[in-house]
Amino acid sequence: MISRINQGFSPRVASRAPWAAAILTALVVLAPAITAQTATPASAKTATPAHKHAAADTAAPGAPVKTIGNRNAPITMEVFSDYQCPSCGSFFENTLRAMIQDYVAQGKVYLVHHDFPLQMHTYSGQAARWANAAAMIGQFQDVDAALFDNQAKWPVDGDIEKYVSAAMSPANFKRVQGILKGCTAAPPTSKADRTAPQPDPGCPVDPYIVQDIVLGYQVPVQATPTFIIHYKGQSYPASSGIITWPILKQFFDTLLSQ
Amino acid sequence: MTPNETRGNLARTLLLFGRLALAAIFLFAAYAKLKPQAATAWSGSSIKTSLSLFAMQVDSYQLLPPQLVSPAAHSLPPFELFLGLWLLSGVLLRYASLITTLLLGAFFAVMVRTYMAGLEINCGCFGPGERLGPLTLLRDGSLLALALAVAIAAFMQGRKSRTEPAPVAHVSAPQRAD
Repeated sequence: MISRINQGFSPRVASRAPWAAAILTALVVLAPAITAQTATPASAKTATPAHKHAAADTAAPGAPVKTIGNRNAPITMEVFSDYQCPSCGSFFENTLRAMIQDYVAQGKVYLVHHDFPLQMHTYSGQAARWANAAAMIGQFQDVDAALFDNQAKWPVDGDIEKYVSAAMSPANFKRVQGILKGCTAAPPTSKADRTAPQPDPGCPVDPYIVQDIVLGYQVPVQATPTFIIHYKGQSYPASSGIITWPILKQFFDTLLSQ
Repeated sequence: MTPNETRGNLARTLLLFGRLALAAIFLFAAYAKLKPQAATAWSGSSIKTSLSLFAMQVDSYQLLPPQLVSPAAHSLPPFELFLGLWLLSGVLLRYASLITTLLLGAFFAVMVRTYMAGLEINCGCFGPGERLGPLTLLRDGSLLALALAVAIAAFMQGRKSRTEPAPVAHVSAPQRAD
């Protein structure tokens, strides 16, 4: 058959046909990968850490500060997380906790938390509200750890309050409760169709959660946890899933040795 | 042209096509993993950073212990580059296609296992940014099938060339002068 096809062409053209077909097939197979390679995430395009976009808001009095470490650290790591997602819990317990105790404490890494509560998790939006309210009074780190430490417990009945109250003084807990007093409607969560969720007008923390979700759409966050690393004004491609601390540390060391 | 000759032509064409397609894919895979992942120029340092970033993708599969992740991540892209060049050269194609098939088979098995386990991670197949999903499984399954077809064709052609008698030289023997 090939010979019959080849009869219609000059020998020179016929001899090049397999090469052309091979290149064409390779391009077809690689097209999605090439697109993924060339499509620059929104955060990488600007080479500006996503948390800088929210700088105006975090500077505002009473805005939640969901960061850990020194803002001037050479490496900034932004994590998009959902308090009810098991991978996020595992990532926090096995990787971020060690990182906070080691490289964040040493001033090498600045950790920025972004809320990306998934619609499929019943209580993750509410947990994000508690974390943001705690962040408004400078108690983010304790509540963040408490929510992940008890991730197997509070999603059973949605009693998040119990674990938040245990993570801070009664006076601070009263302040947090006061912030969330007006939050009566369902909390904002990310949507499959990537539309911005509506904040509860009476809830002061909802705009910040919505802001994080919209920022996550731009990355784009396709799964949680997703994190982006910035170093010397450069943004590295977003990674998702559980990365162990020794491997993440190795990447940081490679960056710091540049 | 006899049916046997037609089949031979078809096999040779498919072999060439498959070999070149696989070579291009492996060369691109190596390039995508080694290229600078941020807006920096190519350098030894940028390659080191890219390989460290690739190590994070290997780690996210949760298959290897941390002490093996880094050696695997640092050796895989250079090996893909070598395999791509080997396939392109066509030298000892039987062995090149066999190794390609085994490597793609291993990749496919790991990806299926990861997908079935519900891990939502980046594939890492052609550098960062591509999520592991049904389409990546379909693509890698197709590549495995192509590599297998090339390996079978290469072995069949090798066997055929060994069993066929060597062409007889039609040179007339010098006449003995009596």
